Amino acid sequence: MKKLFILGAAICIVFASCKKDFLDRYPQTSIAPQLFFKSEQDLSLYVNGLLDLPGKDNYLADQSSDNLATTGSIEIKNIMTGSPSSKTITGGWNWSRLRNINYFLDNYDKAEVAQEVKDHYAGLARYYRAEFYFGMVKRYSDVPWYSHATQPDDSAALYSIRSPRSLVMDSVMSDLAFAAAHVRENVPIGTPNVWAVKTFYARVALYEGTFRKYHTESNLQNTAAQFLQTASDVAKDIMSSGKFQIYNTGHPNQDYAALFNSQDLTSNSEVILVNAYDASKPGGGGNAANAFGDYEQSPARDLVQTYLMKDGTRFSAVAGYDKFTYVQEFQNRDPRLSQTFAYPGWVRLPATTPFVPYFNKNFTGYFQLKGYINTTDNIVNNSTDFPVYRYAEVLLTYAEALAELGQIAQSDLDISVNLLRARAGIPGLDLAFANSNPDPVLMTKYPNVSGTYGGVILELRRERRVEFAMEGFRYDDLMRWDAGKLLENIPQGMYFPALGKYDMTGDGVPDIILIDKGSSIPPEDQKEKNSLGKTLVYYKAGNFGDPVTIYLSNGTSGAIVTEVTPRSFIDPKDYYRPIPYTQTVLNPNLKQMFGWE
Amino acid sequence: MRKSRLIQTNLSLLAFLLISFSGIAQRKITGVVEDVKTNSPLEGATITVKDSKTSTISKIGGQFTITVPDGTAILEISFVGYDSKSTTIGSNQTNIEIKLNQSENNQLSDVVVVGYGTQKKIDVTGAVDQISGKSLAERPIANVFQGLQGVSPGLNITYNGGQPGQTPTINIRGFASINDQSGSPLVVIDGISSATDDLLRLNPSDIASITVLRDAASAAIYGARAAYGVLLVTTKTGGSGSRQSISYSNYFALSKPTILPQPVTDPYIYLKVFEEATANTPWHYRSFTPSQYDWAKQRSDDPSSSPEVKPDPDDPTKWAYMGNNNWNDYFFSKTSPSQYHSISFSGSSSDAHKMPMGYLLSADYTEENGLNKLTKDDWNRYGLRGRFNFSPLPWLKVDNNLSVYQLKKDAPATNITNIYYLQPIEAAKNPDGSWANTDAGILGAQLTDGGRNQQTRFGFQDVARAVASFFNKDLQITGDVSFKRELWKYHTESLPYSLGYGPNDVRIQNATGSISETNGTINQDVVDLYANYKKTFGDHAITLLAGYNQESYEWSPITASKTQLISASVPYIGLTTGDATVNNTSQGGYYAYAIRSYFGRINYTFKDKYILEANGRYDGSSRFPSNNRWGLFPSISGAWIASKEHFMDFLKPVLSTVKFRLSYGSLGNQSVAYFGYIQTLPVSQSPYLIDGNFQTVLGSAPSLSVDPNNYTWEKVNTKNIGTDIGLLDDKILASFDYYIRNTNGMLAPSQELPAVLGTSAPQQNSADLTTKGWELSLSYRNTLTIASSPFSFNAKFILSDSKSKITKYNNALGTFSAAYREGEEIGEIWGLTNDGQFTTKDEISKLDQTEIIPWGALDIVPGWPKYKDLDGNGKIELGPSDKDSKDLSIIGNSSPRYRFGFNLDASWKGIDFSVFLQGIAKMDFYPHHYLFWGPYQQPYANVYPWNLDYYRAASESPADRANNSAAYNKAGLADANTNSYFPVLQSWLADNNYGSGLDIPQTKYLLNAAYLRIKNITLGYSLPHSVIDKFGIKRLRFFFSGENIFEFSAIKKYLDPESISDGYGWEYPYQRKYSVGLNLDL
Repeated sequence: MKKLFILGAAICIVFASCKKDFLDRYPQTSIAPQLFFKSEQDLSLYVNGLLDLPGKDNYLADQSSDNLATTGSIEIKNIMTGSPSSKTITGGWNWSRLRNINYFLDNYDKAEVAQEVKDHYAGLARYYRAEFYFGMVKRYSDVPWYSHATQPDDSAALYSIRSPRSLVMDSVMSDLAFAAAHVRENVPIGTPNVWAVKTFYARVALYEGTFRKYHTESNLQNTAAQFLQTASDVAKDIMSSGKFQIYNTGHPNQDYAALFNSQDLTSNSEVILVNAYDASKPGGGGNAANAFGDYEQSPARDLVQTYLMKDGTRFSAVAGYDKFTYVQEFQNRDPRLSQTFAYPGWVRLPATTPFVPYFNKNFTGYFQLKGYINTTDNIVNNSTDFPVYRYAEVLLTYAEALAELGQIAQSDLDISVNLLRARAGIPGLDLAFANSNPDPVLMTKYPNVSGTYGGVILELRRERRVEFAMEGFRYDDLMRWDAGKLLENIPQGMYFPALGKYDMTGDGVPDIILIDKGSSIPPEDQKEKNSLGKTLVYYKAGNFGDPVTIYLSNGTSGAIVTEVTPRSFIDPKDYYRPIPYTQTVLNPNLKQMFGWE
Repeated sequence: MRKSRLIQTNLSLLAFLLISFSGIAQRKITGVVEDVKTNSPLEGATITVKDSKTSTISKIGGQFTITVPDGTAILEISFVGYDSKSTTIGSNQTNIEIKLNQSENNQLSDVVVVGYGTQKKIDVTGAVDQISGKSLAERPIANVFQGLQGVSPGLNITYNGGQPGQTPTINIRGFASINDQSGSPLVVIDGISSATDDLLRLNPSDIASITVLRDAASAAIYGARAAYGVLLVTTKTGGSGSRQSISYSNYFALSKPTILPQPVTDPYIYLKVFEEATANTPWHYRSFTPSQYDWAKQRSDDPSSSPEVKPDPDDPTKWAYMGNNNWNDYFFSKTSPSQYHSISFSGSSSDAHKMPMGYLLSADYTEENGLNKLTKDDWNRYGLRGRFNFSPLPWLKVDNNLSVYQLKKDAPATNITNIYYLQPIEAAKNPDGSWANTDAGILGAQLTDGGRNQQTRFGFQDVARAVASFFNKDLQITGDVSFKRELWKYHTESLPYSLGYGPNDVRIQNATGSISETNGTINQDVVDLYANYKKTFGDHAITLLAGYNQESYEWSPITASKTQLISASVPYIGLTTGDATVNNTSQGGYYAYAIRSYFGRINYTFKDKYILEANGRYDGSSRFPSNNRWGLFPSISGAWIASKEHFMDFLKPVLSTVKFRLSYGSLGNQSVAYFGYIQTLPVSQSPYLIDGNFQTVLGSAPSLSVDPNNYTWEKVNTKNIGTDIGLLDDKILASFDYYIRNTNGMLAPSQELPAVLGTSAPQQNSADLTTKGWELSLSYRNTLTIASSPFSFNAKFILSDSKSKITKYNNALGTFSAAYREGEEIGEIWGLTNDGQFTTKDEISKLDQTEIIPWGALDIVPGWPKYKDLDGNGKIELGPSDKDSKDLSIIGNSSPRYRFGFNLDASWKGIDFSVFLQGIAKMDFYPHHYLFWGPYQQPYANVYPWNLDYYRAASESPADRANNSAAYNKAGLADANTNSYFPVLQSWLADNNYGSGLDIPQTKYLLNAAYLRIKNITLGYSLPHSVIDKFGIKRLRFFFSGENIFEFSAIKKYLDPESISDGYGWEYPYQRKYSVGLNLDL
């Protein structure tokens, strides 16, 4: 019995040592909601987690526009060349970000902090919500509006129909008005403050105002003016604050580029919101790897031609401009041209001699400098900051909104667009001249621009395309201007008046030679050398599809042809996207619009 | 076998000599019965004097005393699990030591380790198999997993590649649950539940046996963690019987890759095929300049005619490359060495008869080398096990089992599987010796200079166990305490490396570099207390078990990372100048769980013929909310040993054993997220610099992973019926089991909800699954006499199959976009039916296939695959659901079916030989990605020889042919090929990143993934005793062995048949290993 007693005692000890909460275990890497949303710090932690900034990839975003030829798989290009449907266009219908935003808006009010604090963070969240919905409206026009995080058992919400564009945009504008009124000015660097919010507010207002003015399919033309008015008012508000200035140190050949190749933009007077990069921080680097495009980023000649001359006159007014070679095209132009593209004589490090543009099928011959950091130092390359919102946009928004409202004066141009031209070192835009001499080239591009102010509107569109080339604005601009048809034009490359030798570096000495598709490229030791002793680079040229490297529009002369597949932009259908097919099966109340199936 | 017979002969000889000097008085003989190999005492052995009624049973320490008549006498000794034996006692002998030979594995007289006890195999009522440690110890394996593949029916081991030191997927009886597809069984080592990867730390030579519990009845005693079976691992115990022994084993191996995809290396063919592949698409990216073609042609015709690297003629500041390389040869070693050494000391104190003390001390060193040729890539284990058992009181036995181990993986930080991207036209090095600015050069540079990825796991586990016996050993109470502590250290470097961009232009990449250190600790504490009681009343025998178990487990990692190395030659975190980050989310992040359980078993046997057993366990788990935390998991099973019925006696000469088994059990599965029911806000690091730093942020709503109000165990109910049949005195044994396993209440999304919810629908215990399967095991064992020496052989064949079907899933529409559908068989492949290729434009216009065009942008041209329009609407469409499948139908199944293994051992005159085959008899595989499709995937990697059989509408003109390299024309690539295996050559046509075109499974390219692998062949030779005895050596065996020697497979012309478990074959190559080694016993 003694043995059993010992054993019994042992059992008692084992059981006594068992705590009541033995089976409770808690995570240590996430937070229970009931413990959160108490302090300002909690609100800030959450709202900072909603931060979502465009980065240097934006330098590649113009691939969907007429600014670039690309071999990339671009949705709009595939739509224009293929047979798209709701079964093949399946991206974009992603709502998780809205859930994260609305979850905050459902909970922030629990915090035990002053109303001003709550409003600031709620303002930021509503700014993010506006940004989310703006993206949805651009893509789908009518989308269901949700102001709370949807619950899985709320079938009324889950299976709702699309809300009309006008309703959604009114809610977006109301979110932005709230944000503009309550977000603080002083916020952590790299996060939006009230001026960033207002910049976006003006952008959305301009987008929607011009969209409604030029698009007829939603029948909202008569509501355009109120949005344009908001755009100009908000822009004017930012301008009057005196907080921002165009970055101009009096060096027209460098100041513009400095916005895109600086290691630190946080104190730049023009940058309203920065996405900072710092390769020395763990995981902190980033670059636009393909900006100096090898195959997906080939600038279009049409864009090069849009830039003015250095004296402010139109390049398209120069006789024979459309038969200029590369070296000719870059002479005496708006200095922004050479800060956006590789120009004759530019030296690409680590080389010591000027860069000779190279060709391959699909290449236009032009190379993009904006977003490309001319260095072999990866730290420098990966630490270059990206300007998310530039004051330049505010100025152009202001001018365009007023012009579209028919209310613009020369003084408005002088406090806006002409500051940009001044930085570039070219004469300002003259309202009277522009209106009385509309550019015939631009008129054919934008046939729906008319009226007294048509001329200045066209010039503002030129300015916008030039100032923001390769920054991701162009596609949205074409959409809101109802100018989707321009996307049907297949971007062309450099012009070659004939086969033969060409100088590509601006020193008058030939660097490349175009030979006929029938001739053969001589062996290396028999290739011709130029007067500098450098071997010429040989290319065969011919018609599209010939076994050559350079396709010319006339076979042995003309502009480079990058593609021939015909493009068809269907108006208004291709301004929108279908809701993915599977979602319309899950919720039959979601109907396709604008002819999508 | 051979060795024991020799000993037996020696003993008989000894006995005979003793007889000659015998006296005449009747006397008492005292002796001890021991296991011949381990020298551990055997209690309960029956010792009978031949032709008399005198018999006794050996007691503690294996001791017995028996009275024998005068003169010589013969003792017969029998014990379950051992071969019976008779021995002659000399006439004046008073003392004897009897050594019993353990029966071969799988014989019905074996003792089988079961949960919290042992049973005779004949008495087992569930589906149980036992593997002896011996079969593991004599193969050159680096860890236990490698020895388990294909040896036990229903036990499935799947390796994802051949990287040393990896933990394979281990599974019993196939697809388990939609939430836990691998369905890892519970691993119990020496009675203590363990992690699957604990099998890696064990020295294979330390294993005494491994028992596989497959059905619910045998596993139920382990409750909620045993839903998908149990693996019981038992290590060897300390010795006894005042005998000391030393064993040493080793092997040295060389390995090389088994089967690798071998790409085309000819540069001209490569260029031209890629040019064509992209020229046939809107994205004519892979176009090459005329000078590149010239160069490629020269090197195609004569590789020595031109260097593979030279300054780029178009841009002399850069290198240009035109190689003809097979990168497999460059990056993989063909003679990668590995080694293994194991030594053990065991024995007992001389005073073994009263309070025996035994010890075992074993140590091993294992080095398993990877196949990486350029840099160190290996796995090491240092293990030490000390076991000490003693009886401080006559009724108490204490056993302390301590194991200390260190496992270290040392690999480059860059994954060598990047090799599959490398193109033959690249070069690895520039003429100046720098690494080339190509993918091959980058991989070479990263492997050699880019830093290391080291993982060290140091730990120890101590299991202290006390067994108290009462009532003449009828009642045994066992208590044990186990504590395991492990320290895991991950050291990851990202170091700068240099690439030569051009002549005199060598650039440093990743110049900042970074170091990351993770230290993680495991604390696992287990306490068990249980009692076994057995009693026999006449024909009735009853055994009872009741017990308590609790376990707590915690994994707590902390990671510190820092950038900006001071110098690449001192890659230490203290020698960095950049910013530091600290988190505890890497390596799985922090987690913890606790389990508390009560369990019991009743086993009733009537007349040794009818057996009834019931098991139950009441489990509580921290993974569930407190209101749904506890579950009761019962099982019941029975067996009938029909061959013991008298009416079966007439069959005895042939049918020696017939047994039927039946069982049913309901188990829970707690293998769900550790904190799944607690909704929390996830914390992360912002990807943006805020005030100059990456800050910790929240920013995500809690995921609705489960509904905490409706969340509990999934239930796994298994019915099992089985039979064991022995023929010809059990020389032939057959065992068959059939089972139905219902996995009910699996966590699944309640239903597919519209995407506007913004997150996936919360999961509920709402889905059901049924798995039906069977297992067959056949063995034959015999000993013949050949050339007057015994020839013994043993053959075993195992075969198993299972099929799983979703019986309930909330997907009323049956959509394919949801994870599962009701009625779906696991593994089924929905695809299109191939109908040849389009040959004319007219044909193309008659069938609308535009919906399956990858990226919506490729052109449908002659040579495009054509499909059968099953629904006859003139369009090829992928239906959204099984109710509206349009042109999709079930074309195959990717689940492995009919897994089999075959093992043959034979020995004769000191020579032993074994062959082990393993395979899968039926399995479909639809290839995706580069390794099959080459340029059809994307134009960024390789062309494989089989890709060259692509559709070519017309032959090239004589002029064009003249421009080609000879190899190109010889390969027939200039000729028309309209009856081709592959369609028109369009890159992205099989693009897995988009998932259309050829990436949609279809009948033509569905491959047969069945295989048979010669897993091992071993040839050994043991030196005869006449040679070794004089050196005091008990055994000396040399062996030669090959692992993964050969395979029979339809897909081996593409890749290794085992590598497809990831769907791509994108694996670290499997190893063919040849080794020599020895086993020495002193």
